[in-house]
Amino acid sequence: MLFDLRDLSKTYGKIKALRGLSVAMPEGAIGLLGPNGAGKTTMIRTLLGLISFDSGGGEVLGMDIRTRRLDIRQAVGFVPEDECLFPSVLGVEFVAYAGELAGMSRTDAMQRSHEVLDYVGLGEARYRKVASYSTGMKQRIKIASAIVHDPKLLILDEPTNGMDPAGREEVLELARDLAHNKGMSLLFSSHLLPDVEAVCDHVMVLGHGRLLLNGRIDELKRPHAHEYETRVRHDQAAFASQLSVRGVWSEPFEDRLLVRLGEGQTLACLWETALETGEQIRSLRPRQSTLEEVFLSSLAEGD
Amino acid sequence: MPIFDQGYQHWTGPLSGHTWRWLAITRRGVSAQWKSWWIKAVVFIALIPALALSAFLVLWGLLEQKSSILTPFLFLFQGLPPEVMEGAKGYRAVFWTLAFHAFFNFELIFSMLLVLLVGPNLISQDLRFNAIPLYFSRPLRRIDYFIGKLGVIATFVALVAIIPPVLAYLIGVAFGFDANVFADTGRLLVASVAYGVVIVLSSGTLMLAISSLSRNSRMVGAAWIGLWVISSVSAGILTNTVRQDWCPTVSYLHDLLRVREAMIDTPSARAKLRELTEAGQRQAQGGMVRRALSKMARPPGSIASRGGSIAPPNNLPPPPPGTDAYGNSTYSWQLSAGVLAGLFVLSIGILSSRIKSLDRLK
Repeated sequence: MLFDLRDLSKTYGKIKALRGLSVAMPEGAIGLLGPNGAGKTTMIRTLLGLISFDSGGGEVLGMDIRTRRLDIRQAVGFVPEDECLFPSVLGVEFVAYAGELAGMSRTDAMQRSHEVLDYVGLGEARYRKVASYSTGMKQRIKIASAIVHDPKLLILDEPTNGMDPAGREEVLELARDLAHNKGMSLLFSSHLLPDVEAVCDHVMVLGHGRLLLNGRIDELKRPHAHEYETRVRHDQAAFASQLSVRGVWSEPFEDRLLVRLGEGQTLACLWETALETGEQIRSLRPRQSTLEEVFLSSLAEGD
Repeated sequence: MPIFDQGYQHWTGPLSGHTWRWLAITRRGVSAQWKSWWIKAVVFIALIPALALSAFLVLWGLLEQKSSILTPFLFLFQGLPPEVMEGAKGYRAVFWTLAFHAFFNFELIFSMLLVLLVGPNLISQDLRFNAIPLYFSRPLRRIDYFIGKLGVIATFVALVAIIPPVLAYLIGVAFGFDANVFADTGRLLVASVAYGVVIVLSSGTLMLAISSLSRNSRMVGAAWIGLWVISSVSAGILTNTVRQDWCPTVSYLHDLLRVREAMIDTPSARAKLRELTEAGQRQAQGGMVRRALSKMARPPGSIASRGGSIAPPNNLPPPPPGTDAYGNSTYSWQLSAGVLAGLFVLSIGILSSRIKSLDRLK
């Protein structure tokens, strides 16, 4: 188990940040979703052993979050949302410093720094001052400094915020590779659902300090019983028009048509409509929820 | 080519325990600060008093041995009472103590300057660049962070206030050629190191506390200078108006000076020198060397250092509160130590509360 939190409560003054949060997540890439004030940051702080909590308990990578805080931080890497870089320091020195703070000797840290900078694609920029890096490069050097000690769990807090599409794609590729090819578990906190979907296998949704939803993304995006996505060969508009004549609801979606069958209607309606309009149905599949829909419906249920 | 194609290797090498994690912070801090030419300049200029102290101890050792090497330098000892010239070993502790006292008068200023140059950036820079998570999301405790930062100040203060007196002492011992030298002056060695530790702990924690209060390093530096100036001026005003013995303790530098007096026992050395000089006065009519000796024995500005006889003249105004006619502080050194201890506790409190609130990630 990656982490297992049980009935965790944390209060800041009058604000209840966590209200009996219980969640157990397996190893892998996990997306952490939730609106502002949902308790995401408090949960990350708790996982890192940075704050004490009011009640409850749990383990991260099998280590108790009350008693083994330093051991947990030894096994976890954290990429904060803030810049948190020293502008006048060379890239290679910055990452080596992070390695030294994690317990590496100076020589080892420097060697490891070169390796991870190569890995994140900053090999050419390693002797440049961090101040000269672009936003994407800064994000990558933060990741490099977080993985320099080879953590088992990497926590990324809003890693693609403020990045251009190319830089964002690079960071997502990096996260995907770490999670799926390098055996590193991820906790990926983001407001951008496509990013979470692109990287993660699991997702957990927090709201008002409680767990609203968790599970595998492919399972959560369940098929709808009476909704289908279809694509026709020629005139999609005419096909939709004919469907509406038969009392079937439809709506264009990207290059497809969303079709919702009403009471007593079956898929036969579509085949009959195709026959009537002389159309050829090229694809037909049950519609699946998007992650956004899953997220919004979980929030609605939570309220 | 995807950026990750160059591979990622898992780390299988050794990692040190938590005990020495602070050392990485200190090492990086020292390395970063040493790039400043100002700091290098202060450190090298601060070596001049150390060289002077070493030279004095070497010459004193030669004087004790009545070495012929000393012949070209004998003029420096003209006017010393004959009993000192003949039995310099008997006065070793007195003259060494006064020499160390004079040395620390200079080095205290250099130490404060170095704290001013090194300290302001230590925590305020981390605040400015939001670098606190860089530390506390890693296997570091707050105490590691504090000690690491304090270590940077300690390193530079040690370069001027601990290492030079220890080296000078060892040089003096080497030229003493006497088994009793440790017995006579060992206290000085211990006191010098202990005093360096007092400076480090006091000024270091105070500077870190101030540094943790602002993101602006210049403001921190200004606050540090303000602490010197305001506390010294306040002490001066209080001394002239309230006229109580405790008034000098309002000055931070005076507190450090008073504690040092107690640690290396300057008053005893001064008293012995006074006895010696008064005996000499009865035998001779004074001279240049005696005045030089008097000046060396008195802190600048003391009544006796203004020239003439070391014995307190009757027609001068009374000494300021807190000092006697010979420049010795008359109030309890425990009072100054208490002020320093209070500042230390206050600094630790500020640091603890500030960093406790700062290690909460945004």
